[in-house]
Amino acid sequence: MGEEVTSPLSGKVLRINVKPGDAVDDSTSLLVLESMKMEIDIYPSSSGKVKEILVKEGDNVEVGQVLAVLE
Amino acid sequence: MNERNIDPYRKLERIRGRLKEKWIRASERQRAKGKLSAMERLEILLDPGSFVPLQSLVMPMYAEFDEKQADAMGDGIVIGYGTIEGRPVVVFAEDFSYKGGSMGKSHLEKMEWAIKLAIEFGVPLIGLYDSGGARIQEGVHSLTALGGVFFQNVMASGWIPQIAVIMGPCAGGAVYSPALTDFVFMVDKTSYMFITGPKVVKAVTGEDVDSEQLGGASVQTRKSGVATLMAKDDKEALLAVRKLLSYLPSNAGEDPPRVNTGDPWDRIDEELNRIIPADQRKPYDVKVIIKRVFDKDSFYEIQPFFAQNAVVGFARLSGYVVGIVANQPKFLGGVLDIDSSDKIARFVRFCDAFNIPLITFVDTPGYMPGTAQEHGGIIRHGAKVIYAYSEATVPKITVIVRKAYGGAYIAMCSRKLGADVVYAYPTAEIAVMGPEGAIEIIYKKEIEATPPEEREELIRKLANEYREKWSNPYVATASAYVDEVIEPKETRPMLYRTLCTLLKRKKRFSKMPTKRHGNMPV
Repeated sequence: MGEEVTSPLSGKVLRINVKPGDAVDDSTSLLVLESMKMEIDIYPSSSGKVKEILVKEGDNVEVGQVLAVLE
Repeated sequence: MNERNIDPYRKLERIRGRLKEKWIRASERQRAKGKLSAMERLEILLDPGSFVPLQSLVMPMYAEFDEKQADAMGDGIVIGYGTIEGRPVVVFAEDFSYKGGSMGKSHLEKMEWAIKLAIEFGVPLIGLYDSGGARIQEGVHSLTALGGVFFQNVMASGWIPQIAVIMGPCAGGAVYSPALTDFVFMVDKTSYMFITGPKVVKAVTGEDVDSEQLGGASVQTRKSGVATLMAKDDKEALLAVRKLLSYLPSNAGEDPPRVNTGDPWDRIDEELNRIIPADQRKPYDVKVIIKRVFDKDSFYEIQPFFAQNAVVGFARLSGYVVGIVANQPKFLGGVLDIDSSDKIARFVRFCDAFNIPLITFVDTPGYMPGTAQEHGGIIRHGAKVIYAYSEATVPKITVIVRKAYGGAYIAMCSRKLGADVVYAYPTAEIAVMGPEGAIEIIYKKEIEATPPEEREELIRKLANEYREKWSNPYVATASAYVDEVIEPKETRPMLYRTLCTLLKRKKRFSKMPTKRHGNMPV
């Protein structure tokens, strides 16, 4: 079962830390958003393999927007 | 002379023998599901040999006593008392092997009796839930009895600690008994809680969902916050309950038990001065600070996977139990949102009810902005944090670690909410908002009048000036909103000395006119 990792808040994508195929778990920072003048790590809630990253560095993202998909 | 044709001792012996056999059968049935029987669970939870059962011969509502009907005896629930680390507790444990643990009138009245006993004795109540729901054949009698259980849960609230362990299904109205307790444990994969099960959900709304996704341990501990902690199996859950009780007093009239942890109170920890990143935008893990400051291995986190932008839990400081509340910069920058506000407020109220001093670590950029939060009611949820802290009369110590901005700074046990002592680290930034945000408002005209290519440089310069002037602990110390600036490495001895002094203080009572109770924005 795949997981869609959504953005918990609006902000700008500062860095992407993983690429498709990487094995990740709930302590892996998939990417870093900048919001409220803070760097905010985005973690998945389950473990799996990165299927797709749907944003790129510099993108502005909204609350609830899908950032990555795990498989 | 009349001679009895039945030997009364033999009769009791036969009944006991049948009950023993019944529990062997119950164990076998539960084992097939990866679960333990009610009796096996109590053996793990309580000190060996300490359990005293009560009302084990109660019969279901429509049944008469029949010594051959051992399965029906007790009506699917065990109640009684025993000890945990030598301290008395009252327990009940539902027996799924009899009619799916269905809650008949007798069953629920036993549960209600157990809670009444715990209140009367002034000892913690631990309930082990494993039931398919109300017994349909007993209809409104079951439901009414369930109301009696809820009522006693509410009466017990704030007087004795109540702990619920969900070790199988817990569905329908039955979920509200655990929901009224202080802590809810769930066992991964074998327990679930929901108001309406997957079949009804499907029939009513067409939504396809299984029990695990709807109300499994993972969902309830991560997403909803209904459950406090998740364990991998029955044994781990029960041992976690034993551990939790070691931090709690038996009732609101007692202090939590102090133990000798062997960790010196005056320990200076140089490493603490290196944890907070120089770059204010960088996150770090506040749990590292907590674990280093308090007694070694004493931190017991509550709701570790729910609203992770706030951390709450119990720890010991030279053996004294304290309740810790911290913003967690590692998640969402430590922002206060709806869920973290609820988590903090509930924990603060528990600590206040049970004489557990509060130590608050502040590093939050503020309340979370945006429509999702505003429309979700961040105003009324955020208000709970302020209410809970203001109302709390236990010793309250606050340590401002880094960001303390705006309303969130005030909410996090600031001076005027009744903090007894407020410390700040040299890294503290206490202001109405962050430098970048502030200068964009204060210097709006100047920034707009500057050519775009020079703006970034100007903003950086102004932000630095603002930070130098406002975003530091010294504006607050100059006005006594903060008592002292301390180095992180000396946190432990400073907190210990402060705590020892505050513990001498008798419970502080409000000088307000007598009222029934406040109207908390729940």
